[in-house]
Amino acid sequence: MSMKLTRRDFLKLSIGSLVLSSLGINLEPVKAYAKELKIKEAKETTTICPYCSVGCGIIVYSKGGKVVNTEGDPDHPINEGSLCPKGASLYQLANNPYRVLKPLYRAPYSDKWKEVSWDWALDRIAKLVKQTRDKYFMVKNEKGQVVNRVEAIAHVGSAALDNEECYILQKFLRALGLVYIEHQARI
Amino acid sequence: MARKGLLITPDLCIGCRACQVACKSWNDLPAEKTKNNGTHENPPDLTGYTYNKIRFIEKVVNGEVRWIFVSQRCRHCGEPACVQVCPVGAMQKDLDTGIVFYDKNVCIGCQACRSACPFDVPRYDKQGKIGKCHMCIDRVKAGLVPACAKTCPTGAIRFGDRDELIEKAKAEGFKILHGEKELGGLGVVFALSQPPSYYELVENPQKPEKVVALGEMLKILVAKGLPIENSIIKEFLS
Repeated sequence: MSMKLTRRDFLKLSIGSLVLSSLGINLEPVKAYAKELKIKEAKETTTICPYCSVGCGIIVYSKGGKVVNTEGDPDHPINEGSLCPKGASLYQLANNPYRVLKPLYRAPYSDKWKEVSWDWALDRIAKLVKQTRDKYFMVKNEKGQVVNRVEAIAHVGSAALDNEECYILQKFLRALGLVYIEHQARI
Repeated sequence: MARKGLLITPDLCIGCRACQVACKSWNDLPAEKTKNNGTHENPPDLTGYTYNKIRFIEKVVNGEVRWIFVSQRCRHCGEPACVQVCPVGAMQKDLDTGIVFYDKNVCIGCQACRSACPFDVPRYDKQGKIGKCHMCIDRVKAGLVPACAKTCPTGAIRFGDRDELIEKAKAEGFKILHGEKELGGLGVVFALSQPPSYYELVENPQKPEKVVALGEMLKILVAKGLPIENSIIKEFLS
């Protein structure tokens, strides 16, 4: 049903709005809120917070391979969508101008950090681990008992690893013969 | 959509400040230089880049130290003085949800909203444009929960239909609801177990009497292309 605005109605309306505006009532139409949601049509990927052992669920929203937002996963039984301040800051793990992208190396007696390649850094670590292990590997202790261990290398870390990474790391360290395996949360 | 609100229960807050981080993260707000003020409270004040802050209040009650955590942010008034005073319509109240939001592109940075605000909330960014809590109106309009309420691990910030939240708080036994009736009912309601003064909340907040007239006057100034000095606003309101 269409309504027709008569001349009389129109006059009434315009006079009415004049009176209203003189009373100081804002007659401007309410603006429609039109900002687009930044996670609209973003890809959702679930992940586990890397920071502590609680293991909160997080949804990572990405567009074109770039992380646009992260927030708690409401369907995750551990946190049901909530997060602590560290977990809530996860977005910055990917988007951060201060993020270190290459390994930094400080040579013995040097006072400067130098950017090196991953290949170079991993090779050097492997070489030094092998060198130290070969030198200090202990088959038997003072009592003659078989121990097969290395006391010259220790490992510290890491709270930021997940269960599976910790498992692999533990296997690797035990295989080397390490006994000093520690976690920073206990120090 | 019914009027939306946040129910804040300071007694449940553990001061983790996940809400501050989630707010900055969602709204893409940068970190700011800060300093040690002798308390755990950080940053020191609301700014154009900090919309939501937990105040860490230390008090001695009956010889015992109490640490009280109170959210400081826009209260989303039922009758917002900032909207009435804004001469360019940058500050808006959403009729649907009752959220007080703003358009930075329209803001002229006259700072009249801060002078009119009963809670001294509005702040300005480096360009002089308004920045304050908008209850994540972009999220709310899309059916999502505001970032702060979503992340809060203890349920100290809850989001929902305002009437339902108030009912819930009453059912939980909270006798004092700061913001239930004040200034046309605030969108952000505090459920308290002690009087508001204990939490250093504004008791009986009042908006300046001449706020509508000030808005009209500022509109005339803007129409004539005259600059708005903060001193004029202060003088008018005093």
